[in-house]
Amino acid sequence: MIFQLVIVFPEGKCVIATGGLTISSISTSKVTQVVLKIIKHYQEEGQGSEVVQGVLLGLVVDDRLEITNCFPFPQHTEDDADFDEVQYQMEMMRSLRHVNIDHLHVGWYQSTYYGSFVSRALLDSQFSYQHAIEESVVLIYDPIKTAQGSLSLKAYRLTPKLMEICKEKDFTPEGLKKANIGFEQMFEEVPIVIKNSHLINVLMWELEDKSTVADKHELLNLSSSNHLEKSLQLLMDRVDDMSQDIVKYNTYSRNLSKQQQQKHQYLQRRQQENAQRQSRGEPPLPEEDISKLFKPPQPPPRMDTLLIAGQINNYCQNVKEFTSQNLGKLFMAEALQGHN
Amino acid sequence: MSRFFATGSDSESEESSSADEITPKAPGATFKQSLLLSDDEEDTKRVVRSAKDKRFEELTNLIKTIRNAMKIRDMSKCLEEFEQLCRAFLKSKNIVDKEGVPPFYIRLLADLEDYLNQLWEDKEGKKKMNKNNAKALSTLRQKIRKYNRDFESEIAAYKENPQESADEEEEEKEPEDSGSSSDSEGEVSSKSFLKKKPEAPSEATKFLKSAKGSGDESSSSDEDDDDDDDEDWGSDQSGSSGETSDKEEGKTSSMSMLFLKKSQDTEKPGVRKEERKKKLKQKERIEEEAEEEGGEEAGGGWEKVKGGVPLVKEKPKMFAKGTEINTAVVVKKLNEILQARGKKGTDRAAQIELFHALAAIAAENNLGQGILVKIKFNIIASLYDYNPNLAAFMKPDMWKKCLDCIDELLDILFEHNNIFIGENIAEDSENLAVSDQPFRVRGCILTLVERMDEEFTKIMQNTDPHSQEYVDNLKDEGRVCGIVDRLLTYMENKGSTEEICRVYLRRIMHTYYKFDYKAHRRSLGLQGETKSEQDQEESEGEDSAVIMDRLCKFIYAKDRTDRIRTCAILCHIYHHALHSRWYQARDLMLMSHLQDNIQHADPPVQILYNRTMVQLGICAFRQGMIKDAHNALLDIQSSGRAKELLGQGLLMRNMQERNAEQEKIEKRRQVPFHMHINLELLECVYLVSAMLLEIPYMAAHEFDARRRMISKQFHHQLRVGERQPLLGPPESMREHVVAASKAMKMGDWRTCHSFIINEKMNSKVWDLFPEAQRVREMLVRKIQEESLRTYLFTYSSVYDSISMATLSEMFELEMPTVHSIISKMIINEELMASLDQPTQTVVMHRTEPTSLQNMALQLAEKLGNLVENNERVFDLKQGVYGGYFNRDQKGGYQQKQSYQRDQKSYQQKQSGYQRGGYRNQNQGNY
Repeated sequence: MIFQLVIVFPEGKCVIATGGLTISSISTSKVTQVVLKIIKHYQEEGQGSEVVQGVLLGLVVDDRLEITNCFPFPQHTEDDADFDEVQYQMEMMRSLRHVNIDHLHVGWYQSTYYGSFVSRALLDSQFSYQHAIEESVVLIYDPIKTAQGSLSLKAYRLTPKLMEICKEKDFTPEGLKKANIGFEQMFEEVPIVIKNSHLINVLMWELEDKSTVADKHELLNLSSSNHLEKSLQLLMDRVDDMSQDIVKYNTYSRNLSKQQQQKHQYLQRRQQENAQRQSRGEPPLPEEDISKLFKPPQPPPRMDTLLIAGQINNYCQNVKEFTSQNLGKLFMAEALQGHN
Repeated sequence: MSRFFATGSDSESEESSSADEITPKAPGATFKQSLLLSDDEEDTKRVVRSAKDKRFEELTNLIKTIRNAMKIRDMSKCLEEFEQLCRAFLKSKNIVDKEGVPPFYIRLLADLEDYLNQLWEDKEGKKKMNKNNAKALSTLRQKIRKYNRDFESEIAAYKENPQESADEEEEEKEPEDSGSSSDSEGEVSSKSFLKKKPEAPSEATKFLKSAKGSGDESSSSDEDDDDDDDEDWGSDQSGSSGETSDKEEGKTSSMSMLFLKKSQDTEKPGVRKEERKKKLKQKERIEEEAEEEGGEEAGGGWEKVKGGVPLVKEKPKMFAKGTEINTAVVVKKLNEILQARGKKGTDRAAQIELFHALAAIAAENNLGQGILVKIKFNIIASLYDYNPNLAAFMKPDMWKKCLDCIDELLDILFEHNNIFIGENIAEDSENLAVSDQPFRVRGCILTLVERMDEEFTKIMQNTDPHSQEYVDNLKDEGRVCGIVDRLLTYMENKGSTEEICRVYLRRIMHTYYKFDYKAHRRSLGLQGETKSEQDQEESEGEDSAVIMDRLCKFIYAKDRTDRIRTCAILCHIYHHALHSRWYQARDLMLMSHLQDNIQHADPPVQILYNRTMVQLGICAFRQGMIKDAHNALLDIQSSGRAKELLGQGLLMRNMQERNAEQEKIEKRRQVPFHMHINLELLECVYLVSAMLLEIPYMAAHEFDARRRMISKQFHHQLRVGERQPLLGPPESMREHVVAASKAMKMGDWRTCHSFIINEKMNSKVWDLFPEAQRVREMLVRKIQEESLRTYLFTYSSVYDSISMATLSEMFELEMPTVHSIISKMIINEELMASLDQPTQTVVMHRTEPTSLQNMALQLAEKLGNLVENNERVFDLKQGVYGGYFNRDQKGGYQQKQSYQRDQKSYQQKQSGYQRGGYRNQNQGNY
């Protein structure tokens, strides 16, 4: 497992760059340590669709965010419901400082299940991180893809637009419309560069030479239906959610327009009456508060819809990526067979 | 004496006079006392009197207060009291009706009116009066004028002779004190009669005046003298002791009158009795009569009330005394006993004894069968009455007695052809005496037998079904049936169609649930070993089947009440089903259309319907009609309340929902244990049917998103089985079925077979069938067939082709069967394959979409929905008339429709295209 990982990134260079802050590469050996730690964390604690999380530590150098260390959040159980997470984090960071390791909080990481990570929870916590520590990122680790032979590690940040919306907490249709935000503009991906120390690179080269060909066959696996099925299933669920949301929104807008019509009629009637009164020389009717008469229907929050859209997009990307890879493999296999 | 004082404006002189009177009275009282029989008698009399006393006392009290108020000229008080008096008088109206208006009342009215008139004239006095009083005076005056109009004659009479009336009032009280009171009325009436003559002239002059004064009230211009006189008279009243001598004279004479009258009464009681009965309204007479009747032993209305016990003891003796015993006397006695029926404190057991004794007497004296039958009827009725509430059941000895009685009654009826019985025969048109004419007796033997049948059911319901007692009780079933049979023959001769229908239904009810082993064995014995369906057909036309047929057909033809027919049909179906005559049973069920309207029937009929449906389902199962069996049982089983629906017990979880009353009602509806349908058998049959249907279906529609469950309950059982953390060998019937289902899913029919048919299941379920072996054979075959189907559904994607010989070997089915099953599957487009005749193989087309493809199809469908919804949003935003969106929308719908069409065509003609074609199709869509 670990070997494969190393093989995939033979250069061993890892740089994380953020858009706003323009961050790129990172100091050496410690980066691999971060990746391995994350993978290990999932391997030990995460199963199936369960998600593991942890804290990233590092520092900003020039336009790069260098992540040099991390530690996991302990898994929650029902027994220790009163467990203080913040306390634990502070304790942890203090301890790390004592042994002279980078202890600056620069974000967090999370594992994902078939790429389903775009959720309200992630949005909220990333927002609070980014609000408090501007340079923070969230690293998404996909263990399933990694298990298939290609390390999947992605860094995301919220776009400044989304940050503003979250700050105002205005998730109404109008608010989102004004902000002119779509699902594409919610997250920005930050390029990652993984860096190793030269000594380790040398070791890896050596290891690769020693490893047999059979170890590399994982990459060429042709069986794809299982992964696709899972993805499709998840995609379908999201699509269902999406249609529900749309129906909700539909009823809302229908109600709204109906009410507006009523309001309009009411106003017209009032105007006519006033005109009549004026012609008769009577004082016009007093102005009434129309908003009290016609309470606008509660608009459905649109943020969830956006998130779902983002998630669907994510799935689609996944499927596309996967299928294109697989198609390549299939053609390869075909060519091989033809050659034989 | 205290009461005497209380009554009013009496002087001391009168008191002394009354004291004198007590002495002469004493002998009269003792004389009367001798007529009385017991203390009870006197008690009852007092009750009667006190009602009158009370009323009159009330009146006199009121009168007294009025007089007092008059004296102090308090008009408002006077008015108030007068109103009360009027009310009190109204209340005592019925007493007054009997007694006539009491003289003291009249006196007051007259006095009051005079008094008011007098006040009215007194202008000065009126001025002095305060406002309230003046007002009250005028109101009261008007009121009394109006009121007195009703009593004009009495008042006029009084005014002629006021003194005497006043005396009467006083005298009235005296006799009451003396204790024996019945004479007082007579005294009063006779005395008033006596007195009127001598007194009237003596004081005529004085009263003429006053009469004149009050006589023309309207002309209010009277002299002051008048007023004075009146006032004089009012004060005179108390002091007029001079009249006492007169009074005493009158009294003694009245006394003698009274004695005279009494002696007359006693001299000729027989004559008087007859007369008096007719004039019951007169109170005094009632009393006297009561006394007389107390003397005699013959029971009158008064004595009966006192309860049956003393009465009952005396009665048999009565006859023994040597009265001539004839029909009339016995009937009278019978009625007397009957009257005590249902009353509190009547000893029901003693009553039954009494009836028996009466029957014995009647028999002894050869009074004829008519009376005997009538008494028997009553005995049985009182036996049923023995238990006060409906819920309780008869005690064994009572039950035996009842059966015996009914038997005897039937004996009599059979022996004597000339007895007519019927409900419609009126009490007075009965003919019980021995004569040339046939006996006519009121009573309905059919009702009695029906009641007996119900009692039997009740006994069975209330006996513990697992005790020896139950078996003992059940032995009586034979007798009950015998009685019903006898009644049936009797009714066939004499009864009306309706009655015949009713008795037929009883007979049917006792027949339908019994399996006719005799006929069954005979059919087996005659036909040897072969057990084809033909045998079943032929076994019909035997024994109980014939009876059922005959009785039911009669009811179908003749019955007018819907209920009896419905019951008969249901029982008939049940009987057919029980004897495996599936087609007859089914046809009858379908023809009756009971399924449509059974929910309008009453609960017992519904229970019968449920039982019938269950029996029908089990019958279908035995015949191998799995689908029919499943359909018939589905309703009962899916509710999870089979026990309740079949009337075989109450569910515990409903306990909170129903109160005690409902529970009692429901308990009464329960079917006796010997008629129960085995619930485990029912469930097993249902589950196995569901398994045979559901497992192949599940295999066939594995990827279908809109797959429906055939049987929810079966799925529930499967889930329960899956949830088990550790799967041991099956124990219960359900576990067996679940385990078998799992084996079947894999197409492993041998394991399935071993789970369904083994020692345990045999003893639990299959041996309960009369033809267990045949059912098992059927079952094995069904398991083999369905396993084959399941296997093909599940694994067809693995095979390119498969030889039928292999399949036939695998499932131990003959080649033709395998061939037919596979052909059927291909025709129904369940299996995408074709048969290769020369090699006897099944060639798979391999066109089943993979799960991924299925998934993609579902996704496409969902996306279609999404698009449609999205377009609606657009629609709304832009208005429906927006050209662009209209067009777009249309396109969208078209797309959708075409997609749906393709989807359908895809599902229908799956065999049509190959993998590549399939992909093209999809690309075309999107």
